[in-house]
Amino acid sequence: MTSALDEFKRGLLDELPLQIGIIPFGLVYGILGVESGMSILETCLLSVILFGGASQIVFAQLVASATPAGVILASVSTINLRHLLYGLSLASYLKNLPLRWRVLLAYLLTDEAYAMSIIRFRSGQPSDYLHYHLLGTGLLLFIVWQISTITGAFLGTAVPASLQLGFAVPLSFIAVLAPVIKRRAEIFAALSAGITALILHDMVWQLWLICAAIIGIAVGWAVSYLDKDNQMEAVK
Amino acid sequence: MSLFVLMCLCGALTFSARFLPLTGWLPAKLPAWFERAMYFVPIAVLTPIITHSVMVTADSGIAFSDNLRLPAAGLAILVALLTRSVIITLIVGFACLWGLNYFGF
Repeated sequence: MTSALDEFKRGLLDELPLQIGIIPFGLVYGILGVESGMSILETCLLSVILFGGASQIVFAQLVASATPAGVILASVSTINLRHLLYGLSLASYLKNLPLRWRVLLAYLLTDEAYAMSIIRFRSGQPSDYLHYHLLGTGLLLFIVWQISTITGAFLGTAVPASLQLGFAVPLSFIAVLAPVIKRRAEIFAALSAGITALILHDMVWQLWLICAAIIGIAVGWAVSYLDKDNQMEAVK
Repeated sequence: MSLFVLMCLCGALTFSARFLPLTGWLPAKLPAWFERAMYFVPIAVLTPIITHSVMVTADSGIAFSDNLRLPAAGLAILVALLTRSVIITLIVGFACLWGLNYFGF
């Protein structure tokens, strides 16, 4: 049985390599935020209030194009709907924690923290302190994200666009996902979700993401059901 | 609506999406079919972000040719499968993208 400190340190270490992708992503947002017309303070404040990379970038882009507030709200909500799915898949591990823990971990629940902690949660190694793993992944990400954002906001346009730092986002997710996609159901889920995203890529309010996720989940579920692959429940 | 109020509203909505499932209002034991579906959430959410970031251009087109991100992402997948290392995948992916760009592909 691991201790709370062990889990926290493991979370930090698991999350550490992803920071190579987070730093350029944060820089990109910081630069984009200032370019969109927000002040440096507003750009950095959004990182604290929203704390969601993709939605912050969309927010900045929509502010730059003077989009109505209602559309910005709907867009950000739609993009972050996926966090509802993350929360649901983590609920069985976290729902008995004290309220202050759930509030803190909910705030820190981002794509990258979820991606690393769900692997630990499903590893089958028992621990009473699994939530400390998510605290480690989430907290490290929060700190690095804020520093990167502030740096990007101050750097402004000094970073050349030709570096394509935004490419760090898909590369990070490729590094996390590719090794864990093995079974037929997982391959079908990835292919169906990825192709759906391309087909629906120009939907309003970035709805392509939610639609693709629903299709991917449905296809993965159906194929695993047909394959009688019970591993998906056993890993819980 | 002021920008600050808009930020706060977006923040509140985002936090709600993250926190609601952890409120304990859901049943103690979720149905097996639902838990099976939840297994596919990471794959089904992260893969579209990858394909969209690699394939969709700034003017909302889909680029198969003249898209240097495509071979770089393909190589990154191969490296990720072989090494299971985030750092090496990022380095090789960016090296490929910048290299192809530098040599004028």
